[in-house]
Amino acid sequence: MLTELAARSRQVDELARKVFETSLRNFPVAVAAVGGYGRSELFPYSDIDLLILTPQLDVPKPQREAIAGFLQILWDAGLRVSQSVRTVEDCLTLHDNNIELNTSLLDHRFLSGDAELYGKFASKQPDFLKTRGTTLARRIAELARGRHNKFQATIYHLEPDLKDAPGGLRDVHVVRWLSRLQGGGDDQEVTPAMNLLSQLRLGLHQWAKRDSNILGFEAQDVLAADRFSTPEDLMREFYRQARVVFRVAVEKVELAEGRENGLISQFRSWRSRLSTSEFTVSRERVLARSPQLLESDTGLVLRLFEFIGRHGLQLASDTERRLMLFSAVDLDIRWPHIESLLVLPKAASALRAMNETHVLKKLIPEWASVECLVVRDFFHRYTVDEHTIVAIELLESLRDHRFQNLLEETGRTELLRAALLFHDIGKGASKDLDEDHEVRSVAIAKRILERWRMEDHDRDAILFLVGQHLVLSNAMTKRDLGDPATARELAGRVGTIENLRLLTLMTYADISAVAPGTMTPWRLEQLWRTFLVVQEELTRDLEEQRIHAPASRGVAEAQFLEGLPTRYLRTHNEAQVQAHVKLAQAAAGSGSAISLERVHGIWQAVAIAKDRPFLFAPLAGAIASFGMNIVKAEAFSNSAGLAVDTFAFEDPHRTLELNPEEVTRMRKTLTSVASGNEDVRKLLAGRRRAVGKKSRVGARVLLKNDAVPSATLLEIVAEDRPGLLHELASAISRAGCDIEVVLIDTQAHRALDVFYLKYGEGKLPELLHDALREELMVICSEA
Amino acid sequence: MKKIEAIIQPHKLEEVKEALKGIGIDGMTITEVRGHGRQKGHKEIYRGMEYQVDLLPKIKLELVIPAARLEETLATITKAARTGKIGDGKIFVFDVADAIRIRNDDRGPAAL
Repeated sequence: MLTELAARSRQVDELARKVFETSLRNFPVAVAAVGGYGRSELFPYSDIDLLILTPQLDVPKPQREAIAGFLQILWDAGLRVSQSVRTVEDCLTLHDNNIELNTSLLDHRFLSGDAELYGKFASKQPDFLKTRGTTLARRIAELARGRHNKFQATIYHLEPDLKDAPGGLRDVHVVRWLSRLQGGGDDQEVTPAMNLLSQLRLGLHQWAKRDSNILGFEAQDVLAADRFSTPEDLMREFYRQARVVFRVAVEKVELAEGRENGLISQFRSWRSRLSTSEFTVSRERVLARSPQLLESDTGLVLRLFEFIGRHGLQLASDTERRLMLFSAVDLDIRWPHIESLLVLPKAASALRAMNETHVLKKLIPEWASVECLVVRDFFHRYTVDEHTIVAIELLESLRDHRFQNLLEETGRTELLRAALLFHDIGKGASKDLDEDHEVRSVAIAKRILERWRMEDHDRDAILFLVGQHLVLSNAMTKRDLGDPATARELAGRVGTIENLRLLTLMTYADISAVAPGTMTPWRLEQLWRTFLVVQEELTRDLEEQRIHAPASRGVAEAQFLEGLPTRYLRTHNEAQVQAHVKLAQAAAGSGSAISLERVHGIWQAVAIAKDRPFLFAPLAGAIASFGMNIVKAEAFSNSAGLAVDTFAFEDPHRTLELNPEEVTRMRKTLTSVASGNEDVRKLLAGRRRAVGKKSRVGARVLLKNDAVPSATLLEIVAEDRPGLLHELASAISRAGCDIEVVLIDTQAHRALDVFYLKYGEGKLPELLHDALREELMVICSEA
Repeated sequence: MKKIEAIIQPHKLEEVKEALKGIGIDGMTITEVRGHGRQKGHKEIYRGMEYQVDLLPKIKLELVIPAARLEETLATITKAARTGKIGDGKIFVFDVADAIRIRNDDRGPAAL
């Protein structure tokens, strides 16, 4: 313990004894130092806790006046005394409304007066603690939890409270009290932290000249000057130590809580069944069966974090200590390693555990620059790493149903989480370059993703999100959302509806993770409005924004691209474009051309054919007739009247994979359907269709004539089932509509379909909307 | 002294603040509010589902100024906040009985 604190305690001891001699000597009372003063840890501006023991409850008047005189002199001497006048019985009673009294009495020291009276209390206290210790421990745990929650149960505050915040001095006391009450627990682990925290608090009191415990930015500058090279170093050391304190305190608190709560212990023992051959779960904490391997076995370490990410568990202390020693020489991390963590339901728990054990920066060295990084800012409450993890966590517990729907519709949460992981990583990089942090973040993320050999398309998606992560939050407060120019510009930057969904969710998480309460209902509404405005513009875009005279393209390419929606180039890479151009050339001879291949476990069929009514529906039907489940589809046509229909589908029974001849047969069937030589109804006739079962997803069909300039917009949301797309498309064609543009997406068993319909040269007359809507609703509501 | 309460479009805040600074008015209170006037909200459609949006996000600006500067301030705010479209907002003017600076008990216009 700091000698300054002990010296100050001794000074006060002397003074108190002297004053006692002059004012209380002739009375049967004893004075003891309790609380922080009792521990001889007296900070310059802290209260001086005194216990005044009296023989009886009813203190006679002369004695009362003498006590008042004693305290008066101490106050006049400039001490902030906080006294408690009690009988021995009183001190050995649990005070439910004043547990702080019971805890302060845990540390006591005799000062002056009736030594026998004090001795009575001191000798009886161990028995009292033996009988009531469990209850007292539980109450201390309760108070600690309440206090932690006031600080969002995180140590990573930019301006932490050295005393009350998680990992602060109060937690050191909790550790010591609970160790004593729980019998012989070892609390040495928190000693180095206590020394640092005490030193900082002492410095803070001396500098602020009052009982101030908030380590604000200014104080960080002042205190860093003594022992640290920069305020950032000081704060990193603070978080490092506070983390130890917080971890040990939470363990002790859990132990104290668990002793009596049957329901929780039942749940915990149920959770302990999660144990595997490599890991055991005890009291929500994970232990490795071969802990020493955690120091070197990268595979095991990754599996451990996957285990946490799957079940939302925490690390046991021993596991944590082992992981801190982890160093793998042959570390060769690839995207699939990280991806398998990021797809898990509790990915944020895994990332948090990786960050706290420094494994994250060992896997991603660039991460070191933001670990425990304080960036001073008026709004942010947490360090950069904590802000990042909180943002990812917030997406796991989205409450607003509109944003929940968006998340379900995106499907690629791992890309979103990866983008969040990197969105502020540039904040740690050198600030000499006059760039915004998102520019630096993109550069760093690019290097990492290239090292991980991530596929171009996914890498670009992540880099896009990182680079644009402030666009929507800027727009929602600074731009006129009612101005069409705003929508056009944002749509241009965002590119596709898929990007927009991801970016909106990212903005939601980023703003919400700045500090509790930052995402006000006002901001939520503004963000949603921004999303809607851009979404509408991007939908309109499909019709209006067509590729015209594409630059630096060969003749065949230019011909093929002319008149396709600009979305086509945003959603296809160069290799795909080239493949389509070849298909188009093949189709020029025979009328249609088909490609069929499996990419990343998903089958993709592309049909290029002379556009005509009844093209898209039969193709969808033919795919369904093979038992395939279409998850995505798009159909566009170019100026030369060539339709490009793409389908992504799942093969639930692995028919194509296991029977190569079926691939050939499917290709043939699609070719003849595309050239109009095969009646798809015959193909489907053999397939059984369940009738009469009710769909579980409320279907919605919307027809709108004013959404796009020259077509009718049809939006359908329905429960997905095999053959649904074919039936919908057939109904549309039967109603006399040409399908101009199709965008089909399926997420979580919901089909989200957008069609642009033409009726002759114009829109579908409103008179005919009801009939078509009714027919589509009937199809959608069958399961 | 007069108190001005102006309800404006969120994206006009910076412009209005700059304009007020330009005529030497720095002190103001800004609140994020939601509401509607004659514009009465509107319907938004997403994924075939209609959302009735009754309360639109707006910004409320409050400032207290010497009565003599009222017209100039009002003109500055309206000029900066106007787009000419529905939803530009409204300004309300109140008489203020007194003002006190808590730090040193300054009273009246001296406290502004």
